Amino acid sequence: MTTGVPLTATALASAATPDAPPAAPPAKDVDRFVRLSVALTGFDAFELHGTGLAEFYLRTVVAQVGRPAYDDLRKALEQAGLDPEKLEGDVHQDLARAVAHLWYLGVWPPLSAAVHAELRRQVANDAFTVAPEAYVQGLVWRTFHGHPQGAKAPGFGTWAAPPPGEPELPQPGRPVRGHGGKTGGGR
Amino acid sequence: MSPARDLDGHRYDVIVVGAGWAGSLVAKRLGSQGWRVLVLEAGTTTLDTWAGHLDAMNTFYSSLIKVPNAPYRANTAAPSPSVLDTVPGKDGHGYQALGYLVQDGPLPYGTDYLRAGGGTGMHWLGLTPRMLPQDFKVRTQFGYGRDWPIGYDDLQHWYCEAEREIGVAGDAAEQTEEIGLPFPEGYVFPMHEIPSSYVDRVMAKHLNGKTVFDSCTDEPVELRVVNTPHGRNSTPNPAYDGGRGFRPQDAVGLPNYGERCVGNASCTPICPVQAKYNPLKTQAQWSRKVTLVDRAVVSRVLVADNGRVTGVEYQAYDDPATPVATTRTVEADVVVVAAHAIESARLLLASELANSSDQVGRNLMDHPVMLAWGLMPHQVGPFRGPGSTSAFERFRMGESRREHSPWRLVIANWGWTWAAGSPGSDVAEMLGIPDSPFKPRGKARYGPALREQLGDRIGRQVAFQFELEQDAQPGNRVTIDRRHRDALGNCRPILSYDLSDHVKKGMRAALDVSHQIFELLGAEERTRYTSDAPSYFEYEGTGYTFNGAGHGCGTHVMGDDRKTSVVDQWQRSWDHANLYLVGCGSMPSIGTSNPSLTMAALALRSVERIHQDLTELHRPLVLRPTPGYAHPTEARP
Repeated sequence: MTTGVPLTATALASAATPDAPPAAPPAKDVDRFVRLSVALTGFDAFELHGTGLAEFYLRTVVAQVGRPAYDDLRKALEQAGLDPEKLEGDVHQDLARAVAHLWYLGVWPPLSAAVHAELRRQVANDAFTVAPEAYVQGLVWRTFHGHPQGAKAPGFGTWAAPPPGEPELPQPGRPVRGHGGKTGGGR
Repeated sequence: MSPARDLDGHRYDVIVVGAGWAGSLVAKRLGSQGWRVLVLEAGTTTLDTWAGHLDAMNTFYSSLIKVPNAPYRANTAAPSPSVLDTVPGKDGHGYQALGYLVQDGPLPYGTDYLRAGGGTGMHWLGLTPRMLPQDFKVRTQFGYGRDWPIGYDDLQHWYCEAEREIGVAGDAAEQTEEIGLPFPEGYVFPMHEIPSSYVDRVMAKHLNGKTVFDSCTDEPVELRVVNTPHGRNSTPNPAYDGGRGFRPQDAVGLPNYGERCVGNASCTPICPVQAKYNPLKTQAQWSRKVTLVDRAVVSRVLVADNGRVTGVEYQAYDDPATPVATTRTVEADVVVVAAHAIESARLLLASELANSSDQVGRNLMDHPVMLAWGLMPHQVGPFRGPGSTSAFERFRMGESRREHSPWRLVIANWGWTWAAGSPGSDVAEMLGIPDSPFKPRGKARYGPALREQLGDRIGRQVAFQFELEQDAQPGNRVTIDRRHRDALGNCRPILSYDLSDHVKKGMRAALDVSHQIFELLGAEERTRYTSDAPSYFEYEGTGYTFNGAGHGCGTHVMGDDRKTSVVDQWQRSWDHANLYLVGCGSMPSIGTSNPSLTMAALALRSVERIHQDLTELHRPLVLRPTPGYAHPTEARP
């Protein structure tokens, strides 16, 4: 087996959701959230759905900033032709940052103090990993063809192989030594 | 109170304080020799079941900053320090020590340890370099620190034994050829070496055979990338043990699992598949003569009028969150304190024992780690494989040690994770999110630009860890003060820590070497030491910062004179003939090698002596057998 954690790790799957999940948002909502997330993250809809966390992230965003603030962001981004560069206003900009941060690291970041106040949020303005599985599904690792540290292990010796596009290189020292790598010396 | 932990009036042959690495090895060997061993562990033992291990994995995934203690549960009854406890000083200079350790020294001791079953060995990185023969005589040969009462040759056999217990993977021939390490004729490690990473190969391609200069001594040093011996499962070597081979130990709590290292790249703080050795694997081999009692904080070692210790007093608690304890006492012929350098010293000071030399708590050492980091012109595949697989070894040895501390120049496989908190910090930076909600936000990159620029930046990250030898200084010490207590009323350790000029000069030479290496690599140097870091100091006009390595050593140093050392060469207290202090605290100098392997070798060597002591103790006074008389050892259950 080359995966990081054996299949007996069902605790991981169940730990991704709170004990009493709120009603799932309609599939249409999730699709719209993924569409704006594509624009923010640079990953396509197939990859984002493939994390298995799109719906959970939408719920997280709504729980953190409230439905109206999320709807505002979504409408603003849709009106801007899904181009985040054209987003205006500190609130929209900061929420866009937060959504991208969430996808890349599985961590909800602190908002700027001013935006936090303007939204009149009832929750603490603290960073937190939204679920253990969210760390594992962070997009940042894929940007350099890596894997999350502590999960999705690629297998024995894979760390010796070149990353995509780089040349093979010999093992350090091998050609120089002439002992055949068999035994220690008797010095 | 669980009845299993009420041992009032019970008697054992040996009490071991601490179910960490050294204690687990001692208990294993003595138990297999038939002695009745009681192991008292201050923390909890949740990690030795598969459910407990998975719980630690989830805690690790969820933690925002994945520091060495991140996966492990907090415990108010037996608190552990965290590397996050030392924070910048209030006025932007110096440091403050929050958390368990009290600190009043010029520089922070930024190292942690873990008080739980398995101990700090749960989050070691898994590197097992031996000390060099010259490391044992630094005072005589190089004029600093303290000499050992024994040398490399005395430890040769025990190094081999420790490598068997741990299951070391490595290339002994390369160790001899590149470092000059002597091994027994024909010796191979239990397992073949862990493959060197692609990062190592890039370094070798650019640097092997090149020369850099020690700016302090003008000495040329040839660069050679050398594979490091590891305490993690690789491919067993059929030639080991005269052709008998080696069978690796599987995971604890999940039989037939825990194969070769699969490259999870999270050795510190936790190996998900337990391919890395941890002390719970040794505990799994304990015989039924060994009894483990957890949630038992030893508060005092008890001593009789004749100077012999009689047992220990401990505080048994049930719930680590609401510490309410009952005090118990238990007796034994021999007491082995193996509680970590700082905790063992704290216990001895609280017991007012073993300190006629006034050296208990003194000579606290670590390997101060100076980080240097940069960006290669091309992708190197960071964040893959064990934290480090190779190093440049030639800075560890030679006459420059007279001038400044030597170091092991470790090639890091995990990019800037230690140096700069990558990759989280890279994401935050590219999104314009500063480290405080009150600071202004930068312009964010989004979409394909964000994805590409992050990949380009993170994939080119390289870092070096200069792990310097710290010389024994009597002023670097652990003390206690009855005004500073933990929740159970035990005295917290008070640390006074500083770096000598010998070390600081070493950092200066190391920084110069790092400049030369980045130049040879054609890399963009990104090393930056900021004056608001807790460990920041200036030396001859240049600012430096350093990190702790987690290698706490030297608080009950061994020596050949009872007036100047705490224990003899067997780690036996000079003052109390049946009290052993086993662990890194016994080391009078630490060289440039990660100390766990040497600690394990010393522990196994002490077991031989403890076994002799106990056997002598049980020898009948009448040496000629009388008819009908049962020999005490034969009468043993």
